[in-house]
Amino acid sequence: MRSAANETPAPATARKKNGFFRELKKHHILYLMSVPGLIVLLMFSYIPFSGVWMAFTDFNVVDGIFGSPFVGLDNFKYFFSSGSMGWRVTYNTLFINFFGIIFGILFPVAIAVFLNEIRSAAFKKLTQSMMFFPYFLSWVVVGAIIYGIFSSDVGVANNMLALFGMEPISWYSEPKYWKAIVIAANVWKWSGYSSIVYMAAMVNFDQSLYESAKVDGANKMQQILRLTIPMLKPTIIVLTLLNVGRIFYGDFGMIYGIVGNNPVLGDAVTVIDTYVYQSMRTLGFSYATAVGLMQSVLGLILVLAANRAAKKINDGEGLF
Amino acid sequence: MEKNRLLSDKLVTTLAYVFIGCFAVACLYPLLLTVSVSFSSEQAIARNGYSIFPQDATLDTYTYIFVNSGTKILQSYGVTIFVTVAGTIGALLITSMMAFAISIRKLRYRNVLAFISNFTIIFSAGLIPWYMVSVNYYGLKNSIWALIVPSIFNVWNMFLMRTYFNAISPSLYEAAEIDGANHFTVFWKIALPLSKTPLLTVGLMYALQYWNDWWHALIFINDKELFPLQYYLYNILSNVNAISSGRIPSGASGNITLPAETVKMAVTVITIGPIIFLYPFIQRYFVQGIMTGAVKE
Repeated sequence: MRSAANETPAPATARKKNGFFRELKKHHILYLMSVPGLIVLLMFSYIPFSGVWMAFTDFNVVDGIFGSPFVGLDNFKYFFSSGSMGWRVTYNTLFINFFGIIFGILFPVAIAVFLNEIRSAAFKKLTQSMMFFPYFLSWVVVGAIIYGIFSSDVGVANNMLALFGMEPISWYSEPKYWKAIVIAANVWKWSGYSSIVYMAAMVNFDQSLYESAKVDGANKMQQILRLTIPMLKPTIIVLTLLNVGRIFYGDFGMIYGIVGNNPVLGDAVTVIDTYVYQSMRTLGFSYATAVGLMQSVLGLILVLAANRAAKKINDGEGLF
Repeated sequence: MEKNRLLSDKLVTTLAYVFIGCFAVACLYPLLLTVSVSFSSEQAIARNGYSIFPQDATLDTYTYIFVNSGTKILQSYGVTIFVTVAGTIGALLITSMMAFAISIRKLRYRNVLAFISNFTIIFSAGLIPWYMVSVNYYGLKNSIWALIVPSIFNVWNMFLMRTYFNAISPSLYEAAEIDGANHFTVFWKIALPLSKTPLLTVGLMYALQYWNDWWHALIFINDKELFPLQYYLYNILSNVNAISSGRIPSGASGNITLPAETVKMAVTVITIGPIIFLYPFIQRYFVQGIMTGAVKE
């Protein structure tokens, strides 16, 4: 993260204030041009912090945010109690994200490396367009497609099983498959997109290294393993750290788009984000706020840690 | 030795073609499935299940949708188009103005502006407080603005735009400033005309975001008249019978069975239709945007 500002040090507060207003006046048009953006940030990112107080109260509409009775940490305690889904949704979030990160590296890197080996420009262009396309679909549309594949009566998956003489599975009432389906859908949707990031990095690779490797008799496999992959490593690390920083955040759209609020599958795929939304309706605003707050604070700590790690690895260049 | 090398190289190339080919087909196959089912007859689907080739190819489903729920779907289309157009124009203006300000090196507090923006990415109050202020203070419940305003400024897109503005030489601005032009004139008359591709790139990113948004509708909208297309589809999917409950006008459809399966897929096709048609033209702008965003300034 960058430091707040690198102003020239002013000797006295009065001068500083003067300088502040003089700067605003001097560049008032540029500051005015930032105002609409700042207002949106204020409205939707900064003012909501006032509502965080709800997490420490037993909120009711009549008394409002600051009038409702104070309950200390009760809402947080409930999250960790055995009666709540707290641990389960945390586990689900981490599980889905962990495998999402692993496969979200393997497939895009493989795509980028293999596309690099393909000489036919037409084949390359066509396949690249096909692989990028899922990125343009909303999770609702992906949900519709997944329904087409896994629906018990008409779905493609059961047709395939029948082809091999196996019993049909009623997918939508079997929670055990859905973590895998959600992870696969995520990889399917994002691999084409992420591979572009890796290809952007590969454009800058020093081609003379490959030339001299060839002269030394290295075959393609060796070039990939000894040159391409090691040179991709910084990009892989940065993208992984970015994702690790967000590992406590589930993808609301993905879960709701694919599974909706199907109560049978809920246990298996409810992540913290969808849990917060559902809690708002069933367990009240205060509890839902408390869960969201824990997620944000944990997320902040992780992102800052990931940023420090990135700086260490990348010669002082952080993630943002 | 040389022979071995050639053999292993051939193997790698073959593997590359097979892997890329398979993955590409896996990406397109579900889409073809969806389109094919939407043109199939409901009876054939009920009999044989989904398949990649249309069965008893027919336009019945589309006719059915427009006869039975045409106004609803057109209404949703209208909502989506309005939100996409108004949102994209507003977002482009807000985003490019702030990005331009931050790109001017002599602006002393540009780092403060950048920090205020960056901070919102790494820390937030969470869904519930955000929802509370949106509903209680800004009155966004059941308002079309709920679909536009909360996502009208994306910090990532702002920094992407700033990267493009950074590439413009300040000397181009200085000449105009000497002639007495203020910063907004410089922005409007010099920076923007030089940034047509970046504007298109960021504009398309916003447009896609608005077109595909259904989450804000889920959170804020109960009024069916304000359902965007994506949320309309979401409702059909989560409630199989949503469309069957529409009254069938006498004579229009006689005794056809309700085409529930094909209707789902047809509405999906209607939802992604514009993206499919525009895809060949817009794809490269997204690729460019991702590549620019990936290269750190």
